[in-house]
Amino acid sequence: MDALYALMHGLTIATQPWNLLYALTGVLLGTAVGVLPGIGPALTVALLLPITFKLDPAGSLIMFAGIYYGGMYGGSTTSILINTPGESASMVTALEGNKMAKAGRGGPALATAAIGSFVAGTLATLGIVFLAPWLVNVAVNFGPEDYFALMVVAFITVSATFGDSPIRGLTSLFIGLTLGLVGIDKLTGQPRLAFGVPDLLDGVEVTTLAVGLFAVGEALYVASRRHLVEEKLEPVRGSLWMTKADWKRSFWPWIRGTCFGFPIGALPAGGAEIPTFLSYSTEKRLTKHPEEFGHGAIEGVAGPEAANNASAAGTLVPLLTLGLPTSATAAMLLAGFQQYGLNPGPLLFAERPDLVWGLIASLFIANIMLLVLNLPLVGLWVKLLAIPQPWLYAGILVFATMGTIAAKPSVVELSMLAGFCVMGFLMRRFDFPVAPVVVGLILGPVAESQLRRALQISLGDPMVLLQSPMSATLLAVAVLALLAPFALKGMSRFKASED
Amino acid sequence: MATAETRKPDIAGMVIAGLLLLIALVMFWDASAMQGATTYGMGPKAMPFVIGTGMAVLAIGNFVLAWRGDYPERESFDPKAIALILGGLAALIAIIGLGGGFIPATAVLFAATATAFGRRAIHIDLAIGAVLGFAVFLLFDKLLTLSLPAGPIERLF
Amino acid sequence: MLPVRILCRGALIAGTVMFATAAFAQTMELKIVAPAAPGGGWDQTARSIQQALIAEKLVKNAQVVNIAGAGGTVGLAQFVNGTKGDGNQLMVNGFVMVGAILMNKSPVSMSQITPIAKITEEVQIMVVPVNSPIKTAKDLAEAVKKDVAKVTFAGGSAGGVDHIMAALFVGAAGADASKVNYVAFSGGGESLAAILGGKVTAGISGLSEYEGQIKAGKLRAIGVTSANRIAGSDIPTFKEQGIDLVLTNWRSVFGAPGINDVQKKALGELVEKLVKSASWKDILKQKGWDDAYTPAEPFTKFLAEEQTRVTAVMQTVGLVK
Repeated sequence: MDALYALMHGLTIATQPWNLLYALTGVLLGTAVGVLPGIGPALTVALLLPITFKLDPAGSLIMFAGIYYGGMYGGSTTSILINTPGESASMVTALEGNKMAKAGRGGPALATAAIGSFVAGTLATLGIVFLAPWLVNVAVNFGPEDYFALMVVAFITVSATFGDSPIRGLTSLFIGLTLGLVGIDKLTGQPRLAFGVPDLLDGVEVTTLAVGLFAVGEALYVASRRHLVEEKLEPVRGSLWMTKADWKRSFWPWIRGTCFGFPIGALPAGGAEIPTFLSYSTEKRLTKHPEEFGHGAIEGVAGPEAANNASAAGTLVPLLTLGLPTSATAAMLLAGFQQYGLNPGPLLFAERPDLVWGLIASLFIANIMLLVLNLPLVGLWVKLLAIPQPWLYAGILVFATMGTIAAKPSVVELSMLAGFCVMGFLMRRFDFPVAPVVVGLILGPVAESQLRRALQISLGDPMVLLQSPMSATLLAVAVLALLAPFALKGMSRFKASED
Repeated sequence: MATAETRKPDIAGMVIAGLLLLIALVMFWDASAMQGATTYGMGPKAMPFVIGTGMAVLAIGNFVLAWRGDYPERESFDPKAIALILGGLAALIAIIGLGGGFIPATAVLFAATATAFGRRAIHIDLAIGAVLGFAVFLLFDKLLTLSLPAGPIERLF
Repeated sequence: MLPVRILCRGALIAGTVMFATAAFAQTMELKIVAPAAPGGGWDQTARSIQQALIAEKLVKNAQVVNIAGAGGTVGLAQFVNGTKGDGNQLMVNGFVMVGAILMNKSPVSMSQITPIAKITEEVQIMVVPVNSPIKTAKDLAEAVKKDVAKVTFAGGSAGGVDHIMAALFVGAAGADASKVNYVAFSGGGESLAAILGGKVTAGISGLSEYEGQIKAGKLRAIGVTSANRIAGSDIPTFKEQGIDLVLTNWRSVFGAPGINDVQKKALGELVEKLVKSASWKDILKQKGWDDAYTPAEPFTKFLAEEQTRVTAVMQTVGLVK
């Protein structure tokens, strides 16, 4: 219970009026920068970190936490409103969120994202208090073969984003996998598909691809069909707020999303994207409204948003218990500690519990601030969609390119953005789903390098994949997930014939 | 979905299948040109071959779909709108590449896109784009210290 | 990969504290090019130089420019092509770039820019999990000699300093260095987890990165690569244990290509004043870097030796044909 007491102490410090003001400022600044596509939460923090240097330790940690949450929520806002994922982890949010926004349900989408991130953040904070020591042991023993098995599970769930034709879905996925090969091979330093262009050696940036395919590609598609169907955007249809049904449909996805996000986030190479994929496909399978998926199902926003947020809290587990910075964001958090000459490591909890729990309490307070700040703004945000169509899309294009310009002002990168936008247009025209491309780019390289690491350590023996209990279990789950739809189909046919 | 009578080979679909095959071939070529030696486990070439093979199979799948006319029907599209937006993007890249700066690049892209969406007031839209670019520049470059490409106009501030 | 130049203004604020100053950073400024994304070693070095130069009022202003990509070779290419004869430019780079140039078949090389000085270095360390049967570097050398394939080393990206150190260790232990089983991980956190979880035999990194884990009794240090034992440390060097492995991850500063002797001398004097300043010494202490100031002439010679050594290692390991 010491942990809980320490958390309470942290909370009393964080709720002092000045500190609340810092949290509010942090959330505001974080949102302002985080809405830029290509500038994810880690970078937002990096960018604004110097501002926090001027404050006392408590104040600076709190502002820091605010910036972080603001940056994360900023990415979701643009995903929902203008189909422009601010970072790779909010790509899944765009799938259903933007459809909701276009159908006049942007208000509930933004609200379920904000409340979901709050629910997930709260649960994950409790997770850190009670589960951290146990979870970190699991995390450290998670070897390359186990990661590979986890990727296999993730790959199978990708089919949830395929639409109705498996061939077209797989084609999209393989285009993504191909893009994932571009650049220097992490294990041997061998350049692949770079064709001697130095700018390609670092590979294809996920946000460049996502923004090109989603936002700009869609603008192109809508413009090309304007003479056929005039797209009508109603900012608000029905309630601006979440209805009772929305709450009911969001609740379990929030919880399940947290259950995916927190443990996977705690894995040193888990990341925030995989839990969002898993959450999306789970919700798609479990929903009572399967017909709404692909047309704006609230579960598809609630689950992945909660997963994204919980995974961020999950990265704190290895960071605080072992001093392992496992994500760019965690590395930035380290920088926050280093301001006080602390070298985080396994002794940090024992040596400076005040700072550790202060940080956790600050994240909690920042999460509340986010809710306080953003819920009243939802009405204002959705009004953006009332801007006349030519200006709205022109603004989206300016915004999308600006993210890329700010992140990497190179002609090669901008040309890639333009190329992906043409690809996005063609894929829409020929009815290829775009999401699997991004999924392939994210998952492919991770799956490949983890498999190769596993085989390198086992000296080429593939049995290593079955010898690890964790990996064997995950592979069994994958097989089940693959076969379950067929089995279920067979069963329902059986039932039908019984009638 | 097309009905049985209208099903005939879809040329565009076959072109796509051909492109996919081409990608697969480029991957094979790229992978076979690699000379890295891997002592243990799987080398850097293995995955390109696996993905390339998958891509080749999908190319055949797409070809079959196109041959049977199972490709989705396409509605007519407005090439002028496409040209305007892509032209706007090209202009943006050119202006930034040549050091013209963020604000003019943004203004051109904004006006081109608005025109593609049916606006017929290019001067006003250029002005709006410039103001938007200026506001963004002030907010992000000056206040939030993000460095955006600077040209002659930006250096004045 | 990560944004370029984004942090430069941000750090400027850190240095000068006020928002407004970012606006008039125009005249007479030293540009410090960090050929890496914000956050890494070269970037931190560049920012530290900036911080110390401004604090000591050695320059009117200094700005850090990040040009990330391909182990620093993208930044190097831009530096070679874009700054010819400009005496107000400084580029941070180091040991890792020597390898990256070879591996990426970079069209430009470090001999095209003007060496000013080597400024810092970090000692490399090798660790094993605390419950490993291997107690000393000698034990590990024995294991390597017995079956080189079964000894796995975890560390950073392929062709980096960790990789080269693994190959040198295997060679020094008397085994075939081309058979080194080196597993490259993407980040420090990931490789550390693999070591703690006992997935690999040994781990390689810069000294400071594993300090906390060693102190907490989770990792055992079996050797450091310095020539002499580090003052106040009980970790033996490889040399003491009879293994000929001396290596440091050094960082240096270069001037623009084609600058004249006057410009070169000015930059050399500036760097000399910098490394002797109190602010710089504070930073070194805070970051755990070792002062390794070596002026242009001896540094140029040292660089040539390192280039030969790295080329040889990379050919052995098969990274370069």
